[in-house]
Amino acid sequence: MPLLDVHNLSKIYEGKVSTHALNHIRFAVEKGEFVGIMGPSGSGKTTLLNLIAAIDEPTSGQIMINEKDPNTLARQDKALFRRHELGFVFQHFNLLDTLTVEENVVLPLTLAGMRVPEVLRRLEEVAGQLSIGHLLHKRTYEISGGQMQRVAIARAMIHRPALILADEPTGSLDSKSSGEVMDMLAEVNKAEGATVLMVTHDAVAASFCHRVIFIKDGRFFSEMYRGSSRGTFFQGIIDMLSLLGGASHDVSANRI
Amino acid sequence: MTFRQIAFRNVARSKRKYAAYFVSSAFSVMVFFLCALFIYHPQISGALIYDTAADTMMAAEAIIYAFCSLFMFVSVGSFLQSRKKEFGILLMHGMTKRQLHTMIFLENMIIGTVAILTGTGLGLLLGKLFLMIGASFLGLPSLAFYLSWQAPVLTICSFVLLFLLISLCTFLFAGNDSLMQLFQGQRKEEEEPKVSLPLSLLSLVLLLSGYYLAATATAASVQRIMFPVVAITVLGTYLLYTQLSVAIVKLLRSVRNLYWHRTNIITLSGLSYRWRDNGRMLFMVTIVSAVSFTSVGVFASIHTLSRELNLDYPAAVGYVEKGNAATEASEANLQGIREELEALDLSYELLRIPVKFASVASQTGPDRTLRLPLIAYSDYRLALDKAGFSTDEQTLKGNEGLVMIGSQRDRSLTAERKKVVYTLSQGLPIQEIGYTRHVPIAEYLLPELDGRDGGDFSGVVVSDALFQSIDPVQTDHYTGFYIKDFPETVGIAAGLAENGKRAYESKADYAVVVSGTLFEIQRTLYSTMLFASLLVGTVFFIAAGSFLYYRLYTELDHDRLQYSTLSKMGLTDKELDRIVTIQLSLLFFVPIGLAVLHSLFAFIALQRLFYLSIFTETGAVLICYLAAQGLYFFMIRSRYLRNLKKNLI
Repeated sequence: MPLLDVHNLSKIYEGKVSTHALNHIRFAVEKGEFVGIMGPSGSGKTTLLNLIAAIDEPTSGQIMINEKDPNTLARQDKALFRRHELGFVFQHFNLLDTLTVEENVVLPLTLAGMRVPEVLRRLEEVAGQLSIGHLLHKRTYEISGGQMQRVAIARAMIHRPALILADEPTGSLDSKSSGEVMDMLAEVNKAEGATVLMVTHDAVAASFCHRVIFIKDGRFFSEMYRGSSRGTFFQGIIDMLSLLGGASHDVSANRI
Repeated sequence: MTFRQIAFRNVARSKRKYAAYFVSSAFSVMVFFLCALFIYHPQISGALIYDTAADTMMAAEAIIYAFCSLFMFVSVGSFLQSRKKEFGILLMHGMTKRQLHTMIFLENMIIGTVAILTGTGLGLLLGKLFLMIGASFLGLPSLAFYLSWQAPVLTICSFVLLFLLISLCTFLFAGNDSLMQLFQGQRKEEEEPKVSLPLSLLSLVLLLSGYYLAATATAASVQRIMFPVVAITVLGTYLLYTQLSVAIVKLLRSVRNLYWHRTNIITLSGLSYRWRDNGRMLFMVTIVSAVSFTSVGVFASIHTLSRELNLDYPAAVGYVEKGNAATEASEANLQGIREELEALDLSYELLRIPVKFASVASQTGPDRTLRLPLIAYSDYRLALDKAGFSTDEQTLKGNEGLVMIGSQRDRSLTAERKKVVYTLSQGLPIQEIGYTRHVPIAEYLLPELDGRDGGDFSGVVVSDALFQSIDPVQTDHYTGFYIKDFPETVGIAAGLAENGKRAYESKADYAVVVSGTLFEIQRTLYSTMLFASLLVGTVFFIAAGSFLYYRLYTELDHDRLQYSTLSKMGLTDKELDRIVTIQLSLLFFVPIGLAVLHSLFAFIALQRLFYLSIFTETGAVLICYLAAQGLYFFMIRSRYLRNLKKNLI
């Protein structure tokens, strides 16, 4: 049984002109997999991520995470589901500026009501893994973008969620920090066996995945497995993006 | 789009931002206009007795005006602060400084003009209602609606001037920063608030000592310590908000078992910033509220004082003829009073007692009385009987004397005053053994004892035997007209005393008090003061509310971002509601609570000055304010939550 099963998912935005944002998307993610989702602007990547995160509701179709469908849950339970089963990494980091780095990282555990000694043990563990130990007592505005994103990854994984959702994690970073952050994410995926689903524009970032799913105009377009060489995979992604159209422009725009 | 349209649209499209400022300004204009309407009403300005009422209202106008200037200055300053980035963009696109200033000026004048027009318009609409309320406060039958030309002219001119000045002041705030600074103005780095432990402790010490001094003040020391106490309390309050509160939150944050527990982490961290950012604003709200609570409370309770007037004026009309005066003139005056009373169909009882003045050779104590007024004990009992007072005081023996209190509020001064022994020029000693329980002869009718201000002790009661043996330097005669329904005597003896009293110290051959007229004047004065302080208090209250509204409004974007992240991370609606409710209720009720505490201690201190209990009235005032604040809290909380949740998932 896959960890994430997206089944015939459709989303139509009603309005003066209704838009078919997603059209019968289906795919599955196994436990421990690192999957990228790519596609040109307006292809429905973010909509897909929002649906999986139970932030938005699908028009039709079904999402199963750990054999549970978050969309059948009541509002309160949905929030609790996100709290326990999902971890989020955002493009703009979204760290809370009233909290220190350390407090940002432990936030999910604190909200879940975990005892302080256990929280500290976990904190030490993830801080070591993401090498942010020396940042813990700093304030969020004192650290660089790459460091912020590492903190955000720590926050997304500290409660050992079933699925980590990353929305353009390298979108606001320079290429060096991007590389570091992707290394960390791949490391977390490998060492912890965390399942990661990442939406990205960035072909370099995507080349860290095991598999990349391409969507276009809300439909499944193709998918690509990494194989042994990251370089070959990267080239393949670039080729696929140019096939998708307008994509080479997309790529260069995001690689600063 | 013309230049003026830019200014107009800037205002019209951020109406939510200016809403509270506008409401508060318009309300102030309205109250100002209503007060002016009252002052220039022919029935008020024409009647002599309402002079004090008009004066009080004028004072209220001045306070409202001064407060408005401060309020607008602060508000406009913070509006400009929050628009720095916008100004940066405009300047970058080639707007000159001059144009920027013109634009801000125009915007301010637009808000000002609309506020003045709305305020005056509402004032015209509510004028009749206001005059009805005013009339009932003053006990007038009714005031017809009358629009004198002065009222709108005064209101519009003063506020146009105020808005002009404030708009000109904006030049000081805006446009002096470089473009870079303007762009950075928006980026608020949430730096860790700095606190100093000594200053935090100092605030505690200042507040506690202020309270201690207020609570232990005595009648004599109240006036002396009033200003220092107010000053240290104000300073303590300021430090409380800027230092102590941040220190307390910091302390709470250091207790991990508490701080890292569920939503406490968000509530407490948010609090420490909110508190630091809003410290000064909360300080102002506290002081303004404390001032309005205290003044309304005091005037509400002074109102009860006048109901007790008959305790201070045992005879409805009291008359003293000085010994050296021609008896015929006195007789004519008394006859005049009698006729007036009869004309009003008032039945009265008459009492006439002699007052002997003995010359004093020496006395103990710091003061020096030259001529001591004395009355006989039997006359004293007679005076009490006529007034309907009962007492169980023992008959005086030997050279004992009871000091006559001139009014019940002197009772609070008795503890301070040292009892003295007089030695009369003729050789007799008189020893003060205590104070009379009631007022036998009203104040103003006899010269004050001790030859100084402060107490109005008016003489000494001695035993009949001693009184007989006194060789007086002068003998006055006190005549009291005792009437059950003393307020009926209003306006009597107007020829003798224009404001209901002619004090003994005046040059006339007589002294007279007419309690009905005094009662009327006092009642009018206190009612107007209560009325005026209620109006001013409401203006303060609305302005304080507007500060809170504006702070929440400017922080809304930041908060919305925070809560949207949190809600994606799985913060439930219930938890969100709880965090917001705790933070808002602290913001709303801590200043009010502290203001209540301040004013309670102020009342305790003021109670030394007023002998009578004042707690029922002030309690009612405080409860009304708390209720209004509670209502405002629930309104703002639901609006704020709705806005916050608008683009949450």
